[in-house]
Formats: sequence, C-alpha cells, structure tokens
Amino acid sequence: MSVATRISAKSRSWFVDFVKDKELFVASILMIFVFSIAGTRFFTLDNIANILRSVSIGGILTLGLSFVMITGDFDLSFGSATGLLVVIEMIMLDQGVNMWLVFLVMIVLGLVWQFINAMLVVKVRMPAFIATIATWNMARGLIFWITKGKTFYGDYPDAFAFVGRENILVFLPTCAIIFAVLAFFAYMLGNHTKFGRHLYAVGGNPEAARYAGIDSDTVRILAFLMSGLAIGVSAIILGSELCCAPAGAGDAFQMQGIAAAYLGATVFKPGSVNIGGSILGSLLLVVIENGLVMMNVPFYYKYLIQGLIIVGAVSFITIKKRNSSIAIQSKI
Amino acid sequence: MDSNIILGCENLTKRFESTLALHKVTAGVRKGEILGLVGENGAGKSTLVKVLAGELRPDSGSIVFRGKTVRWESSNEALREGIGMVHQRPLLVPEMTGLQNLFLGKEYARRGLLDEVAATEASRRLIEKYPMYPDMDLTKTPKEMSAGEKEILAILRVLSYDPEVLILDEPTASLPRQETATLIEMIKKLNVERGVSIIFISHKLEEAFGLCDRIMVLRNGKYVGDLMREEFKRERVIRLMIEEDISLFYPPKTEEVGPVTLEVTNLRAPGVNNVSLEAHAGEIVGMYGLIGAGMSEVLESVFGLNRITGGSIKLKGEELCLPSVSVMKRKKVYLIPSDRHQLSLFRNFNVMENMTIAHLASLLPETIIDSAKEHKLATNQANKMTVKCSSVSQAISELSGGNQQKLVVARWLMEDVDILMVDDPTVGIDIGAKRDIYLLLRELTRMGKTVILISSEISEILGMSDRIYCMKHGRITGVLTGDQMTQENVLRHIL
Ligand SMILES: Nc1ncnc2c1ncn2[C@@H]1O[C@H](COP(=O)(O)OP(=O)(O)OP(=O)(O)O)[C@@H](O)[C@H]1O
Ligand SMILES: [Mg+2]
Repeated sequence: MSVATRISAKSRSWFVDFVKDKELFVASILMIFVFSIAGTRFFTLDNIANILRSVSIGGILTLGLSFVMITGDFDLSFGSATGLLVVIEMIMLDQGVNMWLVFLVMIVLGLVWQFINAMLVVKVRMPAFIATIATWNMARGLIFWITKGKTFYGDYPDAFAFVGRENILVFLPTCAIIFAVLAFFAYMLGNHTKFGRHLYAVGGNPEAARYAGIDSDTVRILAFLMSGLAIGVSAIILGSELCCAPAGAGDAFQMQGIAAAYLGATVFKPGSVNIGGSILGSLLLVVIENGLVMMNVPFYYKYLIQGLIIVGAVSFITIKKRNSSIAIQSKI
Repeated sequence: MDSNIILGCENLTKRFESTLALHKVTAGVRKGEILGLVGENGAGKSTLVKVLAGELRPDSGSIVFRGKTVRWESSNEALREGIGMVHQRPLLVPEMTGLQNLFLGKEYARRGLLDEVAATEASRRLIEKYPMYPDMDLTKTPKEMSAGEKEILAILRVLSYDPEVLILDEPTASLPRQETATLIEMIKKLNVERGVSIIFISHKLEEAFGLCDRIMVLRNGKYVGDLMREEFKRERVIRLMIEEDISLFYPPKTEEVGPVTLEVTNLRAPGVNNVSLEAHAGEIVGMYGLIGAGMSEVLESVFGLNRITGGSIKLKGEELCLPSVSVMKRKKVYLIPSDRHQLSLFRNFNVMENMTIAHLASLLPETIIDSAKEHKLATNQANKMTVKCSSVSQAISELSGGNQQKLVVARWLMEDVDILMVDDPTVGIDIGAKRDIYLLLRELTRMGKTVILISSEISEILGMSDRIYCMKHGRITGVLTGDQMTQENVLRHIL
C-alpha cells in the first residue's frame, strides 16, 4: 500500500481524449470535405440554412431515441408514430381547432404513444424490438384507416407555416432553433444531471443499478417519455413543413434516427449511444445526404448510405469491444 | 535461461498508456513445478500471465516455450500448444448450460447435429480424470451457479485441452474453505500424477506456501525475487511485496455492544427460511455457511432487493413495512454485494462515476452535477482507499481485479453509514488493503455503527466477528459468541 501511487486531480488532456476512438467519425468529417470540394454550392448561406432545416425533425427524433437506447431499450415505432400524429394534426386544424391547442394535443399524444410502448417493454417485459415492431405497424394501420391511403389536404391557419417553413432570423429557420434548444437541454439532461447518470447506469448494468438504489423501471419509462415529447414536437414541425398529411409521413425518420444514433455511438462514449454523439450524428447524416443531392446523386442512394452507416458503425463498435478482452469479461 | 524452464519470458515489458504494467520481467515456470505468483493489487500478475498465454502482446522482450522463442498470435494458439489459462474472472457464457460451456468451441456433433449424449459422456470422463467436484450439475447455467462452481467449470474447460502448463489467476479468491481445499488437492494431483506445470496466483499466502514449490514476487511491474520452499516465510514474502513489515492481524474486538439496531424476525424470502437475527450498535456480526446456504439472500432481502414473503424487519425498534433500497439508503443502511462485476460495477462509467453513482442525491444535490466537486470527492476517496488508477477518469476495465474490488468498497464508504452489510469484501485484495478494510470496519464499530459481515474465509469470520450466525439451507443453525467461536464449532453447525 505504501507504494500505491497517489493520483492527482488532473485528468487527461482534452485533445488526447478527443482524437481517441473516433476513426469512423473522422471518416465522416473527411466526407464533408469531399463534398465541399465536389459540390461548389455546398458552403453557401442558402445551403447551410437548408441543412439546418433538414436536420431539425430527424435530429429531435434521434434525441428521443437516444434516451431510449441509452437505457438499453429500442424503438422502431417513432417514425410512423410521428406520421400518425401529423395526420391527426392536419385533421384537427381543418376542423378549425385552435392551433396552440392542437400543438398541446400533439405533445400529449406523443407522450401517450411512448407511455404505451414503455408499459409493454418495461412492465409487461416484452422485448423492445417486438413490442415496437407491433406498435409501428399499428401506427401505419391507423394512418391508412384514417386517410384511406391518400394524402390528406385541409385548411390551416396562415400562422401555422411559421414553425416549419419560415425563418426566425434572416436565414435561421425556426425549426432549427427549436432543435438547437432541445439539443442543448437534452445534452445537459443526459450528461450533467442525476437523471442522465441514472440513464447510463441502467443501460450499463441494470442489476448493479438496482443494488445502487436506482429504480430502473421508472428511469426506463421516463426515457420513453422523453422520446414521446420528441415525437410530439417533431409532428408539429413536420405538419407545418408539409402543410398536408401524406400517408407515409415520418417513416423516413426511423432509419435516419437509428443510423444517427449508432454513428454517434462511435464518439464521446465509444460503444454506447450518447446524446452528444447523437446530435453530431444527426448533423453529419444530413450533411452527407445534402452533399449527395448537391452532387446530383439520386435520392434513393440515401437509404443505401443509411444502411451502410448502421453496418459500419455497429461493426466498428463490436470489433472494438471484442478486441478488449476485458469488455467481454464484464458482459458476464 | 534455466534449461528446465518450460514456459518463461525474458525482459518482458508491457505498457498501458500511462501505466507501466511490466518492466523487464524475466521469469518462468520449470517443468513439473508449481510456481506461486504473488504481489500487491496492480503489481502486474494478471498482465504477466496474459502475455505468457498469448492474450496480450508484449511491447518488448520474448516468450520462451519448451526452449524455443515463441510469438503467440492469439490465446487460442497458446491453448492449442498446451498453455491453459483460467482468468481471474472465469469467462463463461451465462445463458448456456455448464455442459455447453465446458465444450464451447469444440462441441460434440454427429452428422452435423449436436450430440448431447457424447458430450455428457465426455464430461463424465473429464470429471473422473480430474476428480474435483464429482457431483457437479452441468445442466445448470453459470447464472445459477455459485462463484465456486463457476471457477471449477472454467478450470475443467481448460483441462479438457490437456494443457502442459496451467495458469490459474486467483482461482481460490471467492471459494469457501471446502472447495478451496478440494481445488488445492486437485492442483497437487494434476502436478504430481500428470506432470502439469502450474502457475498459481493468489493473495492468500498460507495457501501458496502449502501448494507451491517456488514463489515469485512482483512489485510495481518489476520482478523482485523468488523464494524456494525452504525459504517460505510470511514476513519475507511480504517484505518483498511491499517493502514494509506488516502482519495480518485482526483488530481487537468490541468489549461492550450498544442497543439493538437491526432486528429480523422469522424472515421468509427466496432462499431464506424463517431467519431471525439481531445486530447491535458497535458490533460486527459474522455470517457463515457453505455456498448457497442463504447468507447473501438474507442481506439482499433486508436491503429490499428481494420480495419478502413473511416476517419482519426492525431498524432501531421501528418496523419497516416494505423495505426498499431507497428507504434503506435513506436510513443509512448499505449493502456491499459480493459479485463486483454483476452487482456493482458499471463498465461504461469511469472510476469517478462508479463511485458517486450511489450518492448523487445526497452528495451532489445540485440540479446540474458540479463536476469539479464530483472529481474532488472521487479523487479524495480513491486516495483514501488506495484505489490504484491513473486518474479517476480512467475506465474501470483498465483497473486490476483487486483495485476494482477496492473501488466497490470505496463507493459505499463515501457517506456516513449506520448499518453496513458487507458480502465478502476482501476477495482478491492484497494484504495491505485487507488490513485497511479490517481496521475500517472496526473503526466503524468504535463509532457505534453496526457491521454485518459475510465471508468465504472462515479465518476472517472468526477473526473479525463479535458474534457468528451459522447458516445451512437458508436457516440459521447456530449462534456463536465469545469462546464458542472456534473453527470446529462453526463447521459443526454448517455441515
Ligand atoms: N487494459 C488496461 N489498460 C490500462 N491499464 C491496465 C490495463 N490492464 C491492466 N492495467 C494496469 O496495469 C497494472 C497491472 O494490472 P494487473 O491486472 O496485471 O494487476 P494484478 O497484479 O493482477 O492485480 P490484482 O491482484 O489486483 O489482480 C495496474 O495498474 C492496472 O491498472
Ligand atoms: Mg489480477
């Protein structure tokens, strides 16, 4: 014991910490450089505003998903749930319901949706994958039932377009500001509060969390409710952006969210989904997509890219973990 | 190098970023020898054997096996060549049965289908060949096995490769007396009858003295000497290990105990059968029994982790309707569980976060966690409990086994405690740290706190307890006090 070295209160240099374990992320940033050289219009004010606009909905949904994934659960239903909410939103507006009341209803419905998922997963103890595949399909079924498979067009107040289509400042889209604010709060909540710490604890070792006096069930339910909030807000923005309710609205965000969360899992806390990573992951994904559009690559390549990113990020994390034998040990 | 050396290394150096884990180590095990490897927590024992068994690559230096310099591509290659290693923490697949784990990677199959019958037959032959635990139930999964059974399963698995050199990293750390004795016997037999050379790591010196032909000491990653059988002396080894004279003594017991603080009456819960016990202020209450006799289950139920089906729990005379962990924490009743990996450590957290996780509400009540304060709290506690890490931001997977254990104990001693329940706190901890923990527990009782201690080491229970509850099949079979606390009496009650 006499030889045990005393540790100083100084942590490692931030630069070493930053460069470590971020191969995949660095690769993505390199891609952006390729785009900015290839597509000359990439770094224009217009395009940047465009990117910010496109990141908001997917980004907010990714934040919600991240909370769920941090605790070790999963959600396949948030995309179509958002679509369902948009349908309800447009119908309510068409009926002349007050816009702010509709917004409130969206938030409440988002929370209700994820509360149902949470009950299935946390209380009934269904595997999250199965439970949310089921609710995902239920959402799609409901959408088709209500819209008969056709895009719903209806009346809406002029002010409605403000959220999804207009700018708050000269070139800053309103929805980008909403995303930035939510991202900030999510980041603080996830990384600097007790609740955030509990989320990571439950995801890391649920048994140990129980022994440490953390109520895992409540933490997991709250994580789902965070995602519910994200669904509500996203539905408001998406409705306003589209000003109609196509039957497939929201679906595209599902894979985008999953890809962004896994991409983000390669940074900051390598190997686990984390809020900071998800914010950067969402941004990168949209930038890549935008770069492809700039290079006149057909839009459907984006699905290929998303799939590749999931495969790449997850295998990267898995291989990393396999290479440290200790990580495998502690899985037991 | 000594030509008798079957597996050895020369000038081996291994660095992990900021830690020099091995520094120019030259060592080796001779043919047919049992070599003991001892040293403080973090001295580099596990690192050394991992390098020898091909699990880690050395930065410099060479490995010599059967007189030839070798370069292991993987631990599998080393295993095939005849070097079998059982980790400090057995690597088993928790969801598979014992049998499936035993032949993992070389399953018995017929026409492409798994052949359970052949596997069962092979396992029987294996167990007969190395008689260590004849009534081992291989249909159980590691999840359902005790620490001892898991260790035995892991050793059997390696033995199925008939290794020439067998490396055992702290195999007895969490084994109770009976299994330890059997295991030691078996190791001897392996060595004598089959000529297997053995490297044996342990923090229990008596055990090493009884078993080994030679003992080698590591200190801070350096080789500091070895002793032959005739030179085995506690003081000599310890002096080599830590350059300090230390005798593992048990601090004096409590003379007078205070009022009852915890009273459990007719408790029924999973694995607990009508248990009644009481503990007083200023007292260390020991609990002892065979693996699975229900000691841990009693503490877990009291701590609110298991559903209680009958009986009552009173804290300082006040009956608790429904104990839960958060209520217990508020009443300053803590439990340090035994299996640190499964029940205590968060591998996605660093040292600091692992410490503070149980105290966020009380020690860091600000809405936004004050990270400077958290860092300071954790650093102080790590220094106080001599948890060896490069900084509290280090990942816990990079800590040596013993230091992970110290971290778990450190976590629960960050705050004031009234009743401390500890389940085998000194597993894998070196002598110095053990002494510190003993002193700490006594210090607590001197301040009028209550300690309930479970241990797999009977000498620890006898040395530390003021009173001992003996358990068998989930029941209390005897309470021993004063002069009655002897090994014979304890064994009589638990067998
Ligand atoms: N993967 C790693 N990354 C960084 N440091 C490591 C790693 N593995 C071990 N270390 C460090 O190397 C040193 C030696 O560790 P090792 O596990 O060999 O100790 P040990 O002698 O087996 O101790 P114990 O008795 O506690 O098991 C320790 O300081 C430990 O923190
Ligand atoms: Mg070790």
